[in-house]
Amino acid sequence: MTTIFLKNIGRFIFLILFQVLILNNIQLSGYINPYFYIYFILLLPFGIPRWLLLLSAFLLGISLDAFTNTYGLNASACVLMAFVRPFVISSISTGTEFMTGHSPSLKNQGLKWFAYYSVILVLVHHFTLFYLEIFRFKEFFETFLRVLLSSLFTLLLVFIAEYLSYPTKKS
Amino acid sequence: MRYLLYFLRKRYVYFLFLALEVLSLVLFFNYNDYQNSALAYLSNGITGSVLNLSSDISEYFSLKRVNHILAEDNAKLHSNRSEAFYKADTESFYHKDTLYKLEYRYISAKVINNSTNRRNNFLMLNKGQNQGVENHMGVIMGNRIVGQVVSISAHFCWVMSLLNKDSKISGKFKNNNQLVNIEWNGGNYQLGEVKEIPKHVVINIGDTIITSGNSDIFPEGLLIGTIDHFTIAQEENFNYATIRFSTDFNSLSFVEVLIDLMRQEKDNLKKSFKSSNR
Repeated sequence: MTTIFLKNIGRFIFLILFQVLILNNIQLSGYINPYFYIYFILLLPFGIPRWLLLLSAFLLGISLDAFTNTYGLNASACVLMAFVRPFVISSISTGTEFMTGHSPSLKNQGLKWFAYYSVILVLVHHFTLFYLEIFRFKEFFETFLRVLLSSLFTLLLVFIAEYLSYPTKKS
Repeated sequence: MRYLLYFLRKRYVYFLFLALEVLSLVLFFNYNDYQNSALAYLSNGITGSVLNLSSDISEYFSLKRVNHILAEDNAKLHSNRSEAFYKADTESFYHKDTLYKLEYRYISAKVINNSTNRRNNFLMLNKGQNQGVENHMGVIMGNRIVGQVVSISAHFCWVMSLLNKDSKISGKFKNNNQLVNIEWNGGNYQLGEVKEIPKHVVINIGDTIITSGNSDIFPEGLLIGTIDHFTIAQEENFNYATIRFSTDFNSLSFVEVLIDLMRQEKDNLKKSFKSSNR
């Protein structure tokens, strides 16, 4: 149990730093801003209590906000995403029991399951984030395009990370 | 009562969700107040030291360009030295200078975090309260504008760059002094929008827009950009133009914070004016 705990804390710090020091500095036209740090929420174990899920998502978001001076922006998107997560999982339950200590992964749950799971959650997060950021409907379609392109890039990074961790993971 | 407790316990996740969501939304929409709070002061210190470390590494990559800019500035300053002038009549050059009084002081600062790809962009600088930086101070690079200070800590400050929803710059055409407002609508970080140009103003591509000096933040005459293209509106009363910023926001490395030595005086004047008009 403690190893899971430590592993997640390590992942938390790594993803925040990766986002702040690398991804935020990458210029892919004005439309694409991948937010790969939410991979942390995707990978929290199945059996995590929902209050802990919400709290850790909030902490994740507010930590990132501190680095970009947008207090509350990432936090609210992350909290909403964490709130939706159990519903998404139960809506695509394959009938088999999930191991409580295990994280959702491409290998254990299969491509279809994982794609469905990550696409929905990433879209929830990105939609909230980008529309909250502009907070007006004047640039509705531009923002829509930004959401879609950025989600695509975030998902690409998520899948690359999944495939990279493929051989080392023992089910 | 027991039922209520039971209900609360059963639904606590929803309440927690609502509480956290409301908390973050309150933070987000009141961020202007929050930015000046003690907590922001503390967290700016922490994030600042992390970002400072990373910029210590990345600054080597921009050395070449920075040197180039410095050399240009040096040349400009050299040509302003008294040795560069031909003394036609020694007597006529002498005057006791009471016409001029120092109004602005500059603090050089390093940009340790910057973005151009968000809707609302901020820069972090490695100078803070201990070096004399205060909120609402203007930030420039050479004679081009960058933004204004919005949040400070002991050694760092956040600057709202021009590339921000809340940033409205009062500018004017250099050739005919017509006042305009400049905003940024997201997307390309090199292009901004010039709002509400009166119909009678003749616009040409390449016209220079400078700061008007009407705001308290920037003095008059700093470069904002040049007109890239414009549209003559048929039905509205104003024309619109797109401006190409003179500042390359994506490659900022060293900037200057403007300290307005007469700000106190201006503020007091404004305050007394407001209270007498009530």
